Amino acid sequence: MKLIKTKEEYITENYLELHYDTIDEETVGVLDRLRSALKYIEGTMDGKKQTVPLADIFYFETVDRKTFGYTRDCCIEISMTLQTIIDEYTDSGFVRISKSSIVNLYKIKKLQGDLNMRTLIYLKNDECLVMNRGYRKEFYEALNKLQGKRGK
Amino acid sequence: MKLIDRHNFISVVCVSFTLVVCGKLFLEKISGFTDRFYTENIFTCLLVCILATFIISLHYYLQNLPFIAVMIGQYILLIGIIFGGIFVLGQVSDIAPTAYKDMFVSVTVPYVLGAALYYISFFWQIKKANEIFSKL
Repeated sequence: MKLIKTKEEYITENYLELHYDTIDEETVGVLDRLRSALKYIEGTMDGKKQTVPLADIFYFETVDRKTFGYTRDCCIEISMTLQTIIDEYTDSGFVRISKSSIVNLYKIKKLQGDLNMRTLIYLKNDECLVMNRGYRKEFYEALNKLQGKRGK
Repeated sequence: MKLIDRHNFISVVCVSFTLVVCGKLFLEKISGFTDRFYTENIFTCLLVCILATFIISLHYYLQNLPFIAVMIGQYILLIGIIFGGIFVLGQVSDIAPTAYKDMFVSVTVPYVLGAALYYISFFWQIKKANEIFSKL
């Protein structure tokens, strides 16, 4: 499978185009990875419907039984429960870190432990989340799975 | 996630009992010590293993509390029950004059070692994860 990159000036959005006769295993693999990377999520912000690329979401959080997704510069309310998000988007790098939040592994800058064995998660937007001890195993399993995927 | 639940409780007790007894026999062999209360001490080891496994299994329910408080609380509960057991046993039969000290050492050393290993593995995991995040 060949990758051809073409620079086009003045286009409004970058796009990928696939030219094929038959879709072989290699192409299926690339498409699978692209599908999870190019997912979008719908929500509302200030009463208006918004669509945000899943890859832009830093973390999801439940506050007062409402679910919010946070990007670098906005926050949208989503009509999904955290469990549904985990069920659908685990492959996109989302993992549960506490009863009320899910983080995008690709948006983590670093981890830091404290004496009480809580793990502080520093995101690339400099926010800090706290991971409960009970979700440590799940978190590291997801991270190892992600590393395995990238190693392939 | 529960590390110790009702399905693996007995196997955790069996493994820890085997390790404790093997450690006991190994130390006795290299120090040339002969245990005069062999049978009693073996059953004491079994009781301590059951008790310690039960108390550590409660850790799952205490995850929202600070770890240091949980660790110290569980230790105090464990050593308290053991000392209480020695006290009750002392009322009905003869016990060694060093019974409290022996049990204190026997419980504290593995507990501190286990806690230290748990701590080291926690920070080691974070170090490894940060290496992965730096490449993501």
